[in-house]
Amino acid sequence: MAYHEITTWACGVLQDTNGRDVSKVLGAAAVKEGKDIWIIDNYADLPDRVNVPVRKYCKISDEKIKERFLFENHHPDIVVLMEDVYAKGFNILRGSPDGVVLIVNTNKDFDFILDMIPDSNPDKKKLSKIAVVDATSVAPGIDRDIMDIEGAEGSSEIGKGIGACMAAVTAKVTGIVSVDNVMDVVVNKEAAKKALEMVKVKEL
Amino acid sequence: MATDVKKLIVSIPTHLKIPEGGVIDSCEVDGEQPQLPTGGWRLLRSVIDQEKCTKCLTCWLGCPEPCIHLTDDRGVYIDLKYCKGCGICADVCPVKCISRVPESDFKGDVEYMEIPF
Amino acid sequence: MPKKFLPGLSAVAKAAVQADVDVISSYPIRPYTGLMIELSEHVANGTLDAEFVHGEGEHAQLAIVHGAALAGARAMTGSSGVGVTYAMEVYSPISGDRVCPQMVIADRTLDPPGDFGQEHTDAMSTKDQGWILGWAASPQEAYDNTLLFYRIGEDRSVMLPQMNCQDGYFVSHIADWVELGEQSQVDEFLPPYDNPKPLDPLKPVQHGPQIYAEMGPALEATRYNAIWNARDIIEKATKEFGDIFGRKRDPFHELYQMEDAEIAIFIQGCHSITAKYAIDDLRKKGVKIGLIRPRFVRPFATPELEDICGKLKAIAVVETNNSFGASGYAGQLTPEVCAAMVRAKNVPKLVSFFGGMGGHPIRISQFEYLAEKLAKAAKGQAEKEVHWLDLECEIEM
Repeated sequence: MAYHEITTWACGVLQDTNGRDVSKVLGAAAVKEGKDIWIIDNYADLPDRVNVPVRKYCKISDEKIKERFLFENHHPDIVVLMEDVYAKGFNILRGSPDGVVLIVNTNKDFDFILDMIPDSNPDKKKLSKIAVVDATSVAPGIDRDIMDIEGAEGSSEIGKGIGACMAAVTAKVTGIVSVDNVMDVVVNKEAAKKALEMVKVKEL
Repeated sequence: MATDVKKLIVSIPTHLKIPEGGVIDSCEVDGEQPQLPTGGWRLLRSVIDQEKCTKCLTCWLGCPEPCIHLTDDRGVYIDLKYCKGCGICADVCPVKCISRVPESDFKGDVEYMEIPF
Repeated sequence: MPKKFLPGLSAVAKAAVQADVDVISSYPIRPYTGLMIELSEHVANGTLDAEFVHGEGEHAQLAIVHGAALAGARAMTGSSGVGVTYAMEVYSPISGDRVCPQMVIADRTLDPPGDFGQEHTDAMSTKDQGWILGWAASPQEAYDNTLLFYRIGEDRSVMLPQMNCQDGYFVSHIADWVELGEQSQVDEFLPPYDNPKPLDPLKPVQHGPQIYAEMGPALEATRYNAIWNARDIIEKATKEFGDIFGRKRDPFHELYQMEDAEIAIFIQGCHSITAKYAIDDLRKKGVKIGLIRPRFVRPFATPELEDICGKLKAIAVVETNNSFGASGYAGQLTPEVCAAMVRAKNVPKLVSFFGGMGGHPIRISQFEYLAEKLAKAAKGQAEKEVHWLDLECEIEM
């Protein structure tokens, strides 16, 4: 039974919409394939403060998700970083199971990002794959936006900015949903296509 | 038989204990609370060019946290454990000696935290 | 209509637009702020023709809708947590003046300290003020309740304000499938608001005059009669809702597997959905357990509960609220259930559980622990009167 937990780390206010778009795009694509989804932002991160690290959560499952009233993803097996520096300051792999996949938006290479996580962190050994993509360079201003509606439905057009790129890359690297379904759902298809061409993956 | 109300007193597990009323001690050190090193939030780092710096301390006036210090051997320097990277110092400097560099260009200088808050 | 994936606040906003609300009064407090943001977008785009007034505080919010409802407008406001208790002064005048605004409450714990989790204490503290008070457990029910409560409250034999409550964050922010109604169905179900004596410069009236003490009991008695008249209207309106929209439900309680149950869980709010999965598992092991979810706290459905309790051996009341020092040694629901049980044919054993306090989630394994304690109590071997689920169960996250 396929059950995945995807946690996205984004920057408060300026990347709030894009961070939530990663969850919404993957969720909408999963619904097209008949799966059950659960999407929420972290509540206590206070996303109305600029440049604070905020987390967005998504769960995708083949069977019905029974426990829906939880605050966070306790065992994320896919971690998406919109700003690479968060790997330096926080334990982004906390609670992850073996085989966790890390996807980072950065202009640096694999080793630079892996060096940011200290070797003394026992969760570092559970990494199975790391993917880097310089999604910020796809278009100017694509990674900064005004905060969307706080918690309410928001615009029905999803995937206008960098969120579309990161969601498409996640689908390609992990295969949890098909890339075609993701491209159907996003609005900014050119940015997503460009990001798919630029992604580099390394198995560990 | 009437209920023994003393048996209703609840024992709290140690890892969930919280001080009475939620009142915690304030810190006495400079900067933010030592339990919350917020350097990990920083996306752009302010780098001071010590040659051009006139030690006027306008940046210290503008810093919302007291993260800027002046000593004889280091000159004016920024406490990277707490600096959140707001950039007010670079904005107010009268001789424009503070430049903004992406934080991911540097290794280290950030206290590693298990959970963000 | 096709189903949409919406959080609870969004569903309420869509119902408010379809019900053609006239005056909206806002003041930000997380978690219910999302509702006001969405309604303000509708007002700005022109999809909703309403006056949008921003108050200086929750007390001002309620005073604004009081005035609007007196003038004959259908009004909506909302709050959470300490905002609900800040406006405490205005609840009784609105109820006593017999006007019908609706307040959408997304629960939040009361301070201190600042906790964004949810507990029902904020809205439950107002249960004595004379408002119709009910809880929604899912976004679909939040949409249905918005329309249903307006219909119940604005009925001429009731004329009482309503509080449309939902769990903050768990129901208000987590999305689920919602089937919306067509505008024609809403127009058929909900007639326009008709205040018999609105404020009108050509026909002046006086609201809230000074009275002598001997007129007091009669005034209180009219409101007492109104809230009990509401029971008939609740039944009638719920049946009409089922006929028009196709979603039938029991007017006062949601019962799950209660036909042959010997022990039951009495729980309000969204954690009842998790409880149903636990009950499915327990039924497979042969435990005869069921679930009762009350939809209304005011008027409390005492007659139905007297019937249900008479057939049970033990009942567990799950409290997500607190009332320090209450009779029954637990929160605010235990005394209400006790008053129903005292007139039942035979009185079941009662155990109270504090669950989900501070906004902590309740997991399926905690419900299994609860069922174990309850089964012991049914045999007369109860360990304690009150259990704290969050502190006693060791749960691996």
